Amino acid sequence: MNALTIIFYIMAVLMVVFSIMAVTSRKLLRAAIYLLFVLIGVAVFYLAVDYMFLAAVQVVVYMGGILVLIIFSILLTSHLGERLQVVKPTTMLFAAVLSLVSAGVVISVINGFTFITSTFEGDKLTVAHIGQQLLSYDQFGYVLPFEVISILLLAAMIAAIAIAKYKHQGKS
Amino acid sequence: MSFSDFLLMRNELLLVAAAVIILIADMSFSDENKRGLYNISLLTMIIITVLGFLPAPSGKLFGGMYITGDIYILMKNILNIATVIVLLQSRGWLEKPGQQKRMGEFILLLVSVLIGMSYMISSGHFIMFYLGMELATIPLAALAAYELNKSKSAEAGIKLILLAAFSSGILLFGTSLIYAAAGTLYFEGVMAILDSTAFTTLGLILFFAGLGFKISLVPFHLWTADVYEGAPTNVTSFLSVASKGAAVFILVIILNTVFKSLNDVWDPMVYALIIITITIGNLFALRQRNIKRFLAFSSIAQAGFIMLGVINDGGLGMATVIYFVLVYVFSNLAAFGVAAAIENETGKESIDDYNGFYRTNPRLSLVMMLAMFSLAGIPPFAGFFGKFFLFTAAAEKGYYILTLIAVLNTIISLYYYLLVIKAMFIDKNGAPIGYFKSDTAMQVSLVICILGIIVTGFTSGVFDYMVNLSQQFFLTLQ
Repeated sequence: MNALTIIFYIMAVLMVVFSIMAVTSRKLLRAAIYLLFVLIGVAVFYLAVDYMFLAAVQVVVYMGGILVLIIFSILLTSHLGERLQVVKPTTMLFAAVLSLVSAGVVISVINGFTFITSTFEGDKLTVAHIGQQLLSYDQFGYVLPFEVISILLLAAMIAAIAIAKYKHQGKS
Repeated sequence: MSFSDFLLMRNELLLVAAAVIILIADMSFSDENKRGLYNISLLTMIIITVLGFLPAPSGKLFGGMYITGDIYILMKNILNIATVIVLLQSRGWLEKPGQQKRMGEFILLLVSVLIGMSYMISSGHFIMFYLGMELATIPLAALAAYELNKSKSAEAGIKLILLAAFSSGILLFGTSLIYAAAGTLYFEGVMAILDSTAFTTLGLILFFAGLGFKISLVPFHLWTADVYEGAPTNVTSFLSVASKGAAVFILVIILNTVFKSLNDVWDPMVYALIIITITIGNLFALRQRNIKRFLAFSSIAQAGFIMLGVINDGGLGMATVIYFVLVYVFSNLAAFGVAAAIENETGKESIDDYNGFYRTNPRLSLVMMLAMFSLAGIPPFAGFFGKFFLFTAAAEKGYYILTLIAVLNTIISLYYYLLVIKAMFIDKNGAPIGYFKSDTAMQVSLVICILGIIVTGFTSGVFDYMVNLSQQFFLTLQ
């Protein structure tokens, strides 16, 4: 067992613990912070398999962008001391049984599957390579999704404006 | 790849151009009077729909990421027609005072949903499929929440976006399992590699659950009634027709290409889903008094019927699905059109309010009657042929018991569709809804729907054409 394996198991346990805390915490802001630790764990996994660029993206986009956005929206829409409603014990039991059963099914199925070992080495993947692939129009190039995402973002922005504009109209 | 290859993406490029035109035109009209913007948008959409019927080349773009062919174009044309009809039906509602200011956003979101659906249908790669699906969902949630002064509309929006996000998560997890098994996300690549193991079965089930949510099959239907009731009626009609149709189209394509080798797995799955979807949809529709909730459960039951064509993994199955969706577009939009016209005029949504409607508004009642007959599947109308072909498709594969259950359910559905007609034509009402004249655009849309119901039913060429294209599609696969 080498150091990497030990780090992997430590991070895995921490991620599971923090994931559970994120969904059970009754304070929204705390739940968001627990989520932060889970996201850091994912970044560590990327580093462990030498995907440097992906790890950096994970840190910048998820921790730097999305989580900050979540915290902003929490602060804008609710009070800091506010606690979420207590879930009914029957609901909680039902949800717990359901998630344990589905986790059991998924784990047993994945355990019984022999994965093909990838011959690709993560550290050979440079940023230049990713950039070229992203804008390539040949096979395994991603220029079409890249462009369609821009339409999606535009539509999402317009959707947000359509909702926000209404408030403004109500006041005047 | 040369620039002329972009012609393969004709429909999508035209729609993107339309979005840009609407975006720019929106700026040149005052907030109080946007009739001009509406006319420009409608004209652009009609032109795109007509251009869609021109012969188009078939082939692949971007290394197989985008696939097109005659059958794909046909599917997109049906969705274009549905959008034009919805646009016609929304004019009266969009031009209400106070509503005009946001007209540009409404039309633009509608068009972007259509772009998403087009890309979803033409996708040859799971990432493109997912992107198309999201593009066809996120703007829809904003449209559902469009009437923010009604708390139900806001509720519909938030329910749609949260449950859509949840189902997308499930779908993505399924896709990741398939990726792990196949090592590629291209449909072609997956199709060549995928074999039937417990692992790929799990992937298929999770993927199917995500799409089942969009089609609102039972047990993934729980969002449907609330969202349909809360959303503005025109958005509901779009949701029930275009959104469902697009998801069914891509489901048929994916099941018959990517998951072809897992046929033994998805056959019993679809079998079970059909029975519970039709039965539960029907039983709940019996109890509804709100017309929009009623049509929501009716659309769930209809989704179950559509799956009868999906279970037939051949040219006939695909053709019946496309034909039924086309018929369903006309019938359901006619029903929703009348409901929207009444709601616009009086704000009434309950079936009880329709009592004695025939005395005051005979023509609208007649349209509603034809729509209900077509939805129920009464012989001379297109709905009958749609259902009949679906039963044929299922029976062709030897699913006689399933067909029998579906036929029995048709009889139940006939009862509740006739309840609406009974309310309009027979039930007495001291104070019926007064006479009103709906706007020209609505009238035109209803005429198109009725013509569609009658013409697609009586001309056999339509169905023959679809069977022809579907068989070609399956020939190119081999």
